[in-house]
Amino acid sequence: MLSRSGIAGLVCLAISIWLLFLTRGLPPPIMVPIGPAFYPRVVLSFMALCSALLVVMDLVAFRRRRAVASTEQSATARKPAAARPNYSLVIATFVEFFVYILLLPGLGFRIATTVFVFALQITLEQPRSWKRWLLTVLVAIGTTVVCYIAFERYLLILLPRGDWTGM
Amino acid sequence: MSHYDLLITHIGTVLHHQYLLPLIFGTIAGVVGGALPGVTITMTVIMVLPFTFGLDPLQGLAAMIGVYVGGSAGGSITASLIGIPGTPSAIATTFDGYPMTRKGEPGRAVWVGVFSAFLGGTIGGWFLIELTGPLASLALKFGPWEFFSLYVFALSMVAGLVGKSVTRGLLSGAIGLVITVVGPDPIMGTQRLTMGLHFLEGGFPFLPVLIGLFAFAQLMPDIEKVRRGEADSVRAPVKMILKISKLAVLWEILSRPVLLIWSTLVGLLIGVLPAIGGSAANIMAYDQAKKFSRRPEKFGTGIPEGIIASESSNNANVAGSLIMIMAFGIPGDAVTAVMLGALTIHGIQPGPLFISQHPKIAYGIFASYLIALPLMVAVIWLGGRAWMRVITMPKSILVPIVLVLCVIGAYALGNTMNDVYVLFLFCVIGYAMVKGRIPLAPLILGVVLGDQIEANLIRAVSNNPDPWLFITRPISGGLIAASVLSIILALWQHRREAKRLAGTEDEEEDTDF
Repeated sequence: MLSRSGIAGLVCLAISIWLLFLTRGLPPPIMVPIGPAFYPRVVLSFMALCSALLVVMDLVAFRRRRAVASTEQSATARKPAAARPNYSLVIATFVEFFVYILLLPGLGFRIATTVFVFALQITLEQPRSWKRWLLTVLVAIGTTVVCYIAFERYLLILLPRGDWTGM
Repeated sequence: MSHYDLLITHIGTVLHHQYLLPLIFGTIAGVVGGALPGVTITMTVIMVLPFTFGLDPLQGLAAMIGVYVGGSAGGSITASLIGIPGTPSAIATTFDGYPMTRKGEPGRAVWVGVFSAFLGGTIGGWFLIELTGPLASLALKFGPWEFFSLYVFALSMVAGLVGKSVTRGLLSGAIGLVITVVGPDPIMGTQRLTMGLHFLEGGFPFLPVLIGLFAFAQLMPDIEKVRRGEADSVRAPVKMILKISKLAVLWEILSRPVLLIWSTLVGLLIGVLPAIGGSAANIMAYDQAKKFSRRPEKFGTGIPEGIIASESSNNANVAGSLIMIMAFGIPGDAVTAVMLGALTIHGIQPGPLFISQHPKIAYGIFASYLIALPLMVAVIWLGGRAWMRVITMPKSILVPIVLVLCVIGAYALGNTMNDVYVLFLFCVIGYAMVKGRIPLAPLILGVVLGDQIEANLIRAVSNNPDPWLFITRPISGGLIAASVLSIILALWQHRREAKRLAGTEDEEEDTDF
């Protein structure tokens, strides 16, 4: 029934109400006329109002769409379906990125980054020739080496060390 | 020392290799990033950001200004040669640039764009140098009431103008404000909304939030389109001949001075408006050029006027954004928001006192901007063929590298994994917002201005608890009235647009930054 906008509004409404509930425990004003709870309550109330408005507008739009669809159902031909987004690839990218971040403190930057860059390249485009496999490996190692040298040696920025590997 | 003496001194400073190298590196990165379809200037500046942490503030800013100027022109290369705009700010360039290429004049299409960007940027640079100081002096007269109202006005305008729904824009701005509320309050340091999590006790760090929001929000819509077994569709037009008389092209642009100056002014004005950005500037300038032209029917067929309007406004937009951040501390777009974050890492707060407190950096920004323009022309001139090969880099290689640089950018801020976890959290939020069709620009501005809005609100009511002062003080009242008007105007425009599009298919996601 609700479109993506409506669902987003509903989620935002729930979050704003929950956060408004959390502001109950904040202390009253002491040195200035408005205390630490005043501003958060104002912005959270505004967020809740906008979210609720979004949900209502989405419901109204849904009714209108349904009414239009029922009257025009027979008259209009079905439009060809647009290409579906490749959500499995999006989820795979999210999961690999999440695992990379989780393993970074354990494996250290050098190992974790090489594995991550290699794995994500394969996920996004499967190499079909040995040349492409070689390129995939070289990009994974090259990215890690260039980042390591640029940041640790020249810019003196320490990258994560691995608790398990010591690297 | 006079204004121009200071400028010339700082041009000399920036020409020193210590600053010139980061500027050259940034310009090259900008041209390549701008030319790569799917990689915006914001994404490029985020990739360059971690490299600037180890540098002094002006070196880092020089690199970012190089990216900004190079990226604005780089987008026109692919727009003209393959009909795909490298960045949203080069969309209008495709309208005439690509037809000109198809007519067998790729060199003319590219160089009309590059020189228009150079000339538009130079005129914009003059405004940047002349207007920033007076506007900062004006801002110095502001009290907390006026600053509060100015920030509310900026936020309301962005919420109204960006995206396709005012409600979603306002909701996005509100989410940005809520993000800044987490952590200690500005007076007593009382912890707010931290939910007992220790890593939130300092609040959400600005740059990991920004990087996270943009990283997945910009990359994922491209990944969604990838089909298994399909190679990237972008192929470099390696056999195109880009050789052309540069003087003839320059004359072609300079013989249309009214068009050049008018488009530059449009770009400058759009740049001054908070968070609107070059994507709107080039379309508006193109539209204006077409309306005022004696031969509007020729637009879209490959005439130079279309490219001049789009590209000159595009680079003048950069100058407008820089004016706004230096005079008021309000970012003109996402790139200047990243620059603001980079400055705050070094303890520098852009705003009305910026020029007087940090003249070396302020004049260094002017100088870097002016030097970046000829550098951009040189980089495109010398490396044209090489950049065309770089833009064929497949997404499967580009995406992992971008994500690794995002992680380094977040981690290097405080050498802590907490910032990387924040980055991931906002990657998810950014992508969810794109899918929920909620625009990101108001959220970014909310995050940038949230603390300032609260601080000025507290300062105002501490000085005088009368809330009517926000309306009865003339400038503050005027700005509040302008905020209300901008929302009403946006509602009217959206309503008119909705009526026009009634019955058409579902709207697209808002991934334009």
